[in-house]
Amino acid sequence: MFNKLLRKDFVLCVALGANVNNADEWLKYAEKEMRGERSSSEMVMTIQTPNWTRTLEIESDVEGKKQALSTIKAPAKEKGIRTLRIENNMWNYFPKLKRKVAVSSSMLLASWMGSDFTNDDILKASSMSEDYSHQFSADETVGGETYKVIENTAKSNSKVMWPKIVTYASKKDCLPRIYRYYDKEGKLRRTLTFSDIKTFDGHQIPTHWEMSPEDNKSKKTVIDYKSVKFNTRFKPDHFSQKNLSGN
Amino acid sequence: MNLLTFFVLSLMPLLSFAIESEFSGNVEGQFRQSNNNSEAKEDLFQNWNNENFYLLYGNLNGKLEKGQSRLEANWFLRYSQSDLYDPNPPYFATRIFTFPNRLVARDMFKMQYIRQDGNEQTESILNKFYYEREFENQRFMIGRMYVNYGLGEIFNPINPFNQPTALTSISQVAQGNDGLSYTYFSSDTHTLQFLLLGDKSINDYEEKIDITLWLNGEYQHSSDLQFNYVMGQDQNRYKLGGQISYQTSEALLFTQLLYQSETSGSEPSNNLWDLLLGLDQQLTTLWHVRFEGGYQKRNRYLSLNNLGERFLPTEYFAALANVYELHPLLKLSGTIVIDIKSGFTYLVAKMAYDMGNNMEAETFCFTPVAKGDETDNVAQKLVTTDVGLAIRAFF
Repeated sequence: MFNKLLRKDFVLCVALGANVNNADEWLKYAEKEMRGERSSSEMVMTIQTPNWTRTLEIESDVEGKKQALSTIKAPAKEKGIRTLRIENNMWNYFPKLKRKVAVSSSMLLASWMGSDFTNDDILKASSMSEDYSHQFSADETVGGETYKVIENTAKSNSKVMWPKIVTYASKKDCLPRIYRYYDKEGKLRRTLTFSDIKTFDGHQIPTHWEMSPEDNKSKKTVIDYKSVKFNTRFKPDHFSQKNLSGN
Repeated sequence: MNLLTFFVLSLMPLLSFAIESEFSGNVEGQFRQSNNNSEAKEDLFQNWNNENFYLLYGNLNGKLEKGQSRLEANWFLRYSQSDLYDPNPPYFATRIFTFPNRLVARDMFKMQYIRQDGNEQTESILNKFYYEREFENQRFMIGRMYVNYGLGEIFNPINPFNQPTALTSISQVAQGNDGLSYTYFSSDTHTLQFLLLGDKSINDYEEKIDITLWLNGEYQHSSDLQFNYVMGQDQNRYKLGGQISYQTSEALLFTQLLYQSETSGSEPSNNLWDLLLGLDQQLTTLWHVRFEGGYQKRNRYLSLNNLGERFLPTEYFAALANVYELHPLLKLSGTIVIDIKSGFTYLVAKMAYDMGNNMEAETFCFTPVAKGDETDNVAQKLVTTDVGLAIRAFF
């Protein structure tokens, strides 16, 4: 009965190629759709408050779930700074001083480049399927639209910052529209929303992301994807320390 | 000079192809009001009370790239003006205010122009100028290059090729090193860097070159545990040491140890060793704290002229650095360094404000807050009490 209802809810997703009998499968579908096996994207990150905004232009390369390399292209102050992730390790590289800094687990709380995204978001971006268990909750209506709700609960052996993340997924395309992050006390700490779905190389992805911390409602960080290329062929050593410090 | 000419000419073929280029830089102006340490006046002939110090410095960085080949250069330009330059030689404070005043740590090619005229000094230095070629799992560099490794930000004894600048007001600078670098990436977890460097500067550019032959290894044992090892000959001493860093779920812990033999020449010297213990922790999303403490065996034969080799030398030291983000645009930082043996305590406080449009303003204060019991450490007598303002722009 549950599966029957689920299939009805996700009928459009299924038409798009998703096989979403349970929350795990939904997550796999969403990750496959949004990340692919390999992708290369250009995005603009804007940190906004009522009084000022700050903009970073970023290039981001991803291969599989464990390798990512991002490079800041602008502004001049941060230009060339790179962040490399391999498995559970992460490094920042500051080319002007030729300095490589390992991002330790103690730094995961720290903001990434002054934004509302943390180093942990960069490091753990793709590990939700491994670090969390997933189950559907009752549908919820937010802003006039009814979403499928998935509760992601941290596995007991996983080292993650957020014990619970609740995902609100569209019934039309299965893609996430809202992530809500809860702390150990069960308090909502921040919200990530997705919108402006576009298709790149046959993949649908939300191109407008907004991260809003709950303790400072007037501040948010916006990411706008400008272009995404899927199935990019990277050099064998693209995600390596050699490449990190080589450009 | 012939060697330099040969080096430049050997790069000309690179310029004849279509190449990618990139230029960037920064410029910074500083005003500092400085009050002298009374002990420096009495004991060290630094006979001044209050002076202003004006500083303008900048970097112009250029990169040309073609395939696996790369040419990089950085031109560092610094102009400073103060009545502290009037005496001959200038008062020692001018060297503290421009630390690191030696912008090339291992210097064969000179490539610098320094002119002191009355109460002003102009320095123009090509402190980075190298050719780099990548091969599979290997990297080769020749020229003047930055060598930057080690986790210490206040003290970093395993890397003698780039002095930490955490206790200074000059942030956008790195020291160059003349010679060759060969890096072998033996695996994703193990990297070996061999350095063959030369230095003429300690002999006033006489013919003799002091050779540095150095190995810097980096081994990532696991995601939590990393080892670095260094060994070689440098500045006529044999040196051996390493670093261990371990990540707990809360903090990064690290330690460094470096042993230096006596110098191999005929001049008197003593062996040296340095120990560093460190902790780095992000306490909250806004508050970052770092502790560095340890021991540096005193170089009994260090002359005043060589104090620029290491900022504020102390034997037993403990340093605590805090950075707090008061606002996304406003960062406060405070570093306190204590000489445990003498009680001498030094405070560095800074407030940096992001002005937008690639500009930043910083106010700073440097002051000894406790003089300490012992008075035989010359460097500690020379530190001044300063407040200042810096405006920096990036392009």
